Amino acid sequence: MSEATQTAGGVVPPAVEGIRLAKAFGGVQAVDSATFSARPGEVHALVGENGAGKSTLIKLLGGRLRPDAGEVRAAGRKVELHGADDAHALGIWTVFQELTLLPWMTVAENLLIRREPRGRLGLIDRDRMVGEADRVLTWLGIDHIDPRALIEDLSLAQRQMVEIARVIIQDPSTLLLDEPTSSLGEKEVAWLFELIQGLRADGKCIIFTSHRWNEITSIADRITIFRNGAEVGTFTEIDEDRAVTLMTGRQLEAFYPQPPARAHDRAVLEVEELAGEGLRNASLTLHASEILGVGGLAGHGHRELFFSLFGAQAHSGRIVVDGRPARIRSPRDAARLGMALVPEDRKTEGLLLPLSVRANLTLAVLPAVSSLGLIGGARERGLAQGMVDALKIRTPGLGNPVRQLSGGNQQKVLLGRWLLADSRILLLYDVTRGVDVATKHEIYELMMRLAGEGRALLYYSSDAEELAHLCHRVLVMREGRIAAELSAPGITAEDIVTAAVRESRAAD
Amino acid sequence: MAKWNAALLQPLERAGLNRDRRRILYAFLAAILLFAVGEIVHPGFASPGSIGAIVMVASFVGLVAAGQTFVVLIGGIDLSVPWVLNGASILLVTSSLGQDDRAPWALLLTLGMGAAAGLVNGVAIAFLGVPAVVMTLAMNGIMEGLTLGLSGGLTCGACASYAPPVVADAVHGSLFGIPSALVLWLVVIALVSLLLSFTTFGRRTYATGNNPHASYLAGVNVRLITILLYVLSGLFAALAGILLVGFGGQASLGMGDPYLFQSIAAVVIGGVYMLGGRGHYLGVAAGAVTLVALVSVLLAMNMPDYGRNIIYGIVILLLLLLYGREEAED
Repeated sequence: MSEATQTAGGVVPPAVEGIRLAKAFGGVQAVDSATFSARPGEVHALVGENGAGKSTLIKLLGGRLRPDAGEVRAAGRKVELHGADDAHALGIWTVFQELTLLPWMTVAENLLIRREPRGRLGLIDRDRMVGEADRVLTWLGIDHIDPRALIEDLSLAQRQMVEIARVIIQDPSTLLLDEPTSSLGEKEVAWLFELIQGLRADGKCIIFTSHRWNEITSIADRITIFRNGAEVGTFTEIDEDRAVTLMTGRQLEAFYPQPPARAHDRAVLEVEELAGEGLRNASLTLHASEILGVGGLAGHGHRELFFSLFGAQAHSGRIVVDGRPARIRSPRDAARLGMALVPEDRKTEGLLLPLSVRANLTLAVLPAVSSLGLIGGARERGLAQGMVDALKIRTPGLGNPVRQLSGGNQQKVLLGRWLLADSRILLLYDVTRGVDVATKHEIYELMMRLAGEGRALLYYSSDAEELAHLCHRVLVMREGRIAAELSAPGITAEDIVTAAVRESRAAD
Repeated sequence: MAKWNAALLQPLERAGLNRDRRRILYAFLAAILLFAVGEIVHPGFASPGSIGAIVMVASFVGLVAAGQTFVVLIGGIDLSVPWVLNGASILLVTSSLGQDDRAPWALLLTLGMGAAAGLVNGVAIAFLGVPAVVMTLAMNGIMEGLTLGLSGGLTCGACASYAPPVVADAVHGSLFGIPSALVLWLVVIALVSLLLSFTTFGRRTYATGNNPHASYLAGVNVRLITILLYVLSGLFAALAGILLVGFGGQASLGMGDPYLFQSIAAVVIGGVYMLGGRGHYLGVAAGAVTLVALVSVLLAMNMPDYGRNIIYGIVILLLLLLYGREEAED
C-alpha cells in the first residue's frame, strides 16, 4: 500500500499518507475512502472541483479534523492526530485559505505568536520581537512588509504572505497549503514559488491545492486529481484537457467561449478622473454589450475602482450613466441606476449565508415582490425559481440556506440577485476566484449571454488568461490609474502582465 | 454526544422543524415543564387562574422583550429600557393628571417620548457608530436623570396623580373573557411576527442582522433599518410603562429596573441569536412566559431573592450553552 522512494541511502517512506480516509459532514460524504501519498522533496498538487474533498483531505492530514475511517501516516508510521498541535509535533504545518491572522495585532506579534521573546519578569520584549520579525521577513524576501504594521492595514496578498511566513518559520517538514495563491497577484505567486522550490531543495514535502492550471504545471512534481471525495489518479505529466475531463467527468472543449460581437457602440457608463483612496484619476468608457476587462497587479486600485463606481467608497470625479451625469453616493443610488456589484468575497460581502436561496435572490427586488410592504410569497417564489432555473443553480430547494451550496452556485445566486433587478451595468469583481472548472465555464457562458443581451460588463479578474480570452478590451491598472488599454482580437495574458509589470518598473 | 443528539433531532428535522423553529418549541416545552414542576411542589400552581396570572405578568415582560427582539436581531441591544419605561409611566400620570380628557394627548406624548429616545439611540448608533451597549447605557442614564430631575425625585405635585381611569379600566378590563392586557399582547405577537416574517422591513432586518456590509452592498438602507428598530424598541418600552402604570395605578421610581434583565433573558430563552440575524418573536413570547413561570415556581418554593437571581443566571447560561452546541452541530 504505502509507496516508498528509492534513494542512494536506502528506502525513504512517504512524508505523509492518507490511507482509505473517510469523513462525512451531516449527510455529505466529503472524503470517501481517499488514498493519498506525498514524498519528501516533492511538490504535490491536489486538484479538483469545489466540493471534491481537497480541503477536507488537507484538514485530515493537518490534524484539524479526525477521520471517520482510515488512517493517517507520517514518515511511514500510523499516527493519531487529535488536533493541529499533534501534527505540528510531527512537523506537519498548514497554511489556510481563510486567513487566521489577528487583524488588530502587528505583523511581528502575529509572526511570533506563542513564541514571543521574553525580557526580564517574563514580559514581552517588544524591540527584540520587532527585530526578530524583521529578520524573518528579510530572510524570506518580503521586507517591504513592516513588522510594526497592523494586519488590518495590509492588503489581502500581504496578509497571505505573512500567513505563509508564520508557518515557514516553524521549519515544517511537511507543508500543506490550501489555495495559497487565490489572493496573490503574479508577483507574490512568483515569490511563493521561489520559496517552495527552496523548501523542495531542502527535502521538504509540499502539498498544495489550486484552481489555476498554469501554476500547477509550473511547480508541481506530481498531481493528484480528486473527484467526489476520492482520488482519480496521480500523475507526473498530464495536460489540462485530460485533467479537466478527469476532474469533471466530462469533456470541456473550447474552454473560453468567444465574446459576442458588439452590436452597439452606445456608451452606458462614462467615468472621468475618478479619484479617492487608492484611486488616482481613473477614466474609462463602458459600452452596451461590451465586456471590458480590468487587470493588473493586485492592490493597484481595482477594488477601489469597483467600489467607488458602486457608491460604496467616497470618491470625486464625473460619472455619466446613459448620457446623464449621476451622483452615486450609496449602493442604493447605484442599484437605482441599473448598476450591480458582485464582489470578490462572496461570503462576507455578498451573500447572507444562513438565509435561504430565495431570500438571497430577491434581496435587491423586494419592492417588486411586495405590496404595501407585505411580501407576496408566491410571487417571490416564482421569481426566485425562475432565476434558479435560468442560471441552473444547483440547490436542494429555494428554502435551503445558501451556505449549503457550492462556491460556484453561491456565485450564481449573487449574480442572479442582480439579474432579477435587471441591472444593465454589471461590475464583476473576480467572480471566478476559487470557483471550480465546470462552474467557471458556466459563468463565462453566462457573461457572454448577458453581453449578448446588451448589458455592459466591467470585469476584473486576477487571472490574466481569463481577461485575455473573454474581453473586448482590457484596461491595465497601476497605482490607481488606467495605465494601458489593450483591444481584442489578439490580447494575450503576457500582454496584460507585461503592461502591468513594465509600467511598474518604469516607476520604481 | 453527537449521536443521541442526532437521533433526537432527526425526527424533528423531518417534521419541518429547522433550528429556529425547534428553539421556539423548546421555549414552549420549558414553560410547560415549569408548570408541571410547579404543580408538583405546590398543588394548584397550574390551575387556570394561576396560569392566567402568570401569563398576565409575562405580557409586560413580553412587550418590552418585543422591542429588545428587534434590536437584538441586528446584533444590537437596548439597555435604556428601564428608564424609558419608568420615564414613560411618570410622564403619563404627570401629563394626564389622572383625567380622561387629557388621556389621548398624554398617551401620544408618552409614546412619542419613547420613540424619541429610541430615535436618538438609533441615530447615534447608525450614523456616529457609537456601540449599542454604550449608547443605550448612556441613554438609560440620561432618562434616569431627566426623570428624577424634572419630577423632583417623584415629589412633584402631579407625580402623585393616578393613571387616567380610561387607561386603568382598559388594562384591568377584558375582551371575550380574556384580560385586555393579554389581548393586547396577543395582537402584538401577531403583528410583530407578521412584521418580521412577511414584510420587506422584516426581511431587511434579518439581512442586516446577518451581514450589514453585504446587505449595504445589496442596496439595503442599513442605517434607516437600524434607526427604525431602535425607535420600535423605545416605543415598546414606553407602551409597557403605560400598561404598568395603568395596572398599578400610580408610578413609582425603579419600576422599570426588572425589565432590562427580564427582556434580555426572554430573548435568549426564546432562541434569538444574540449576534443577530436569527430568531422569532413567538419564541421570545414563550420565553417571557417561561421566565415568569420560573420566578413563580421559585417563589412557590420559598426561594429567597438572592437564590432566584442565581438560578436566573444559571438558566440563561445553560440555554446559551445548549444553543451554542446546536450551532456547532450545523
